[in-house]
Amino acid sequence: MRGPDLERLYDEHAQLLYAFLLNLTRDEADTRDLLQDIFIRIARDPDLLAGARNERAFLIRLAHNAAIDLIRRRGTRDKTREQFAAETISPFASGANPDEQTFRAALAGALAELPAEQRAVVHLKLWEGLTFDQIASALDIPLNTAASRYRYGLDKLRERLRPLYEEIK
Amino acid sequence: MKPDDFEQRLQRQPLRQIPAEWRAEILTVAEPAAGSRPSTFGFRPAGSLSTLNAQLSTILWPHPKAWAGLAAVWILILAVDFSIRDKTPVVAEKSAPPSPEVIVELKQQQRMLAELIGARETQDAEPQKFSPRPRSERPFEILMT
Repeated sequence: MRGPDLERLYDEHAQLLYAFLLNLTRDEADTRDLLQDIFIRIARDPDLLAGARNERAFLIRLAHNAAIDLIRRRGTRDKTREQFAAETISPFASGANPDEQTFRAALAGALAELPAEQRAVVHLKLWEGLTFDQIASALDIPLNTAASRYRYGLDKLRERLRPLYEEIK
Repeated sequence: MKPDDFEQRLQRQPLRQIPAEWRAEILTVAEPAAGSRPSTFGFRPAGSLSTLNAQLSTILWPHPKAWAGLAAVWILILAVDFSIRDKTPVVAEKSAPPSPEVIVELKQQQRMLAELIGARETQDAEPQKFSPRPRSERPFEILMT
């Protein structure tokens, strides 16, 4: 693959991958490393993308697998690090409205409490606008699994954020 | 499935933007990698020890305590095995030499055994004569004896 193709891939998909990885890892340095690894892997083996039916779905799968591997490597020894990161690194942009800012911080904290698999589905559905079919294809899971993970994840978020949501509604 | 108010509220939350400087940094590293040999994905370039540590963590996850327990049991088994192996020759070396009475007794028993074996050998020295015959003649032979 030549340089311009890598640039196109970056321009078209890097933002999506960044937000997705950041929501999973909650660590900006890890997110950067994983994103760089993905592009290095594609550069070394362009046939990977050539054989993929859907470029975006394939990249999401690469990112998801890399993030899950990282989270497993962290394991139990770094659980405290993940909790600490959840308090400081938010996948959401900062805003001027204090109510919105409070809600985003609470949402980031609630998301961090979800299992990574649920968080991945919730992220792709809510913020990337993927259908369950697309999510199932991208993460290589059954359609029903994608739908149930979303439902469980959303129910947990609703329960956790209900008081704040009712207050600033 | 139509999203409810809560889902719409979540969807409206803007995501953090990727730092602009990352584009040049990542592409600068990725582009020279084109055509080079693929390597193991997911591990950062680091020292061999940290790579080994990461790989071991991957293997031992998610039950490091169970693996440690298994290793401890093996160490215990090896320790017990070595301690038993060391004691055996020591016991043999430390055993007292037999007394003259015991030696005389043993020699006497040995002599008796030799006599008995000699008598048995003389009995065994006369082998029974055996001549193979047809099966049909055997009943007659039995009757004759």
